[in-house]
Amino acid sequence: MALYNTEAVVLRTINFSETDKLCTLYSRNFGKVKCVAKSARRLKSRYGAALEPLSYIKTIYFGKEGQELYRLNHCDILKSFQSVREDIGKLYTGVYFLELVDTLVHDGESAPHLFDFILEALRQIQKQKDLEILRRMFEIRFISLLGYLPNLSVCLICKKEPGKSGIGFNFQRGGIVCPTCRPRELSETHFSVGTWNYLKKLLTFDIQYSDRIKLPKALQDEIEQVTHRMILSHTGRELKSYPFIKQMVSL
Amino acid sequence: MKRPPAVLELISELKRLPGIGQKTAERLSFFLMRGTLDQARRLANSIVKVKEKIVLCSECHSITESDPCDICRDPRRDPSQICVVEEPHDVFVLESMGEFQGKYHVLMGAISPLDGIGPESLTLEDLKTRVASKGPIREVILATNPNMEGESTAVYISKLLKPYEVRVTRIARGLPMGGDLEYADPVTLKKSLEGRMDMP
Ligand SMILES: [Zn+2]
Ligand SMILES: [Zn+2]
Repeated sequence: MALYNTEAVVLRTINFSETDKLCTLYSRNFGKVKCVAKSARRLKSRYGAALEPLSYIKTIYFGKEGQELYRLNHCDILKSFQSVREDIGKLYTGVYFLELVDTLVHDGESAPHLFDFILEALRQIQKQKDLEILRRMFEIRFISLLGYLPNLSVCLICKKEPGKSGIGFNFQRGGIVCPTCRPRELSETHFSVGTWNYLKKLLTFDIQYSDRIKLPKALQDEIEQVTHRMILSHTGRELKSYPFIKQMVSL
Repeated sequence: MKRPPAVLELISELKRLPGIGQKTAERLSFFLMRGTLDQARRLANSIVKVKEKIVLCSECHSITESDPCDICRDPRRDPSQICVVEEPHDVFVLESMGEFQGKYHVLMGAISPLDGIGPESLTLEDLKTRVASKGPIREVILATNPNMEGESTAVYISKLLKPYEVRVTRIARGLPMGGDLEYADPVTLKKSLEGRMDMP
């Protein structure tokens, strides 16, 4: 039996039984873990809001190493992101990020730099007015941090920089295809030089400065076509929360 | 040894109930097999009876034996206040408090992206119609659960009702986050109803 002490972000919490909850945490020290919180469904539960998705907590849990379910022992809220919860557009952007983490990160793989990135992304949701840019930045940076850095600098085939618009992207191989090589290589989308420049910027930009960059309205759809489909090429399916973002924008 | 097909069928039916996994389903099925035929009949009949007798109230969507339900039909209830809850069960919880004199609207759930439950799966259109009809409704009290799904549903409804001349309030934050309304004690619930606040 071991005791684990770590900071974590709550990814998802579901009712587990009449009285208990099952929560999925992304922890700084031990990666993604699943914990049972005893008696957490009672209104006077000692956990309170600590187990709500988005909460940034300090927690102690215990169990045998490598087992599937741990037992939660203690939780303190470090940050509840209350203002994110009160704005539906922000909330569902946060839920989308959490769903991505839950879907693409495997249990028990610790990566502190990824944890810090996710936490910073949640802070940015709180501050940032332009959620569109944040979503695009999260998608491309998150996929890169997972080890699938897209090749945006030169064409997959001829290794040259594309000189004009009509640049393709091969999602399977994760790289661009120049207009000249496009007829010879499978590419599922194509975009302008302007979009290409923004994609390169998004890829290297530190997310904590997300408010220092603006996406031209005219390029937004093209950029989404690339970064969101990069995500889909790894998840293999649309994320459940994604349509909700679109729906809420129209409200 | 393999289980007889009838047993497997029972287990798979029980597993469809909320909160029942393989182990619990097995335990329940063995309990039922040990009992008398009469006991089994009574259980089976009461399940069928519920389905035959209980309908959803066409006004508030709560469960009832006669449509409209007792509360919707009661002339002593204040028609100017509607309390919006997630589940029919919540109506009974609030009623047991004995404080609220208005009427109800049951949403049949809460918006939950990860479970694929969108606004269109709830009874929101009917709520809009109730509010929009030149009726007596002056206040809509949102009593959804104090968790992410319930909170965001409340925010959504307040946006949805913006165009109408109706006061939209939310039961007080005194209800601890993360809990279920059904576990609230009457005193806490009464306080949170009294301390309700206008939605932004
Ligand atoms: Zn090329
Ligand atoms: Zn009714």
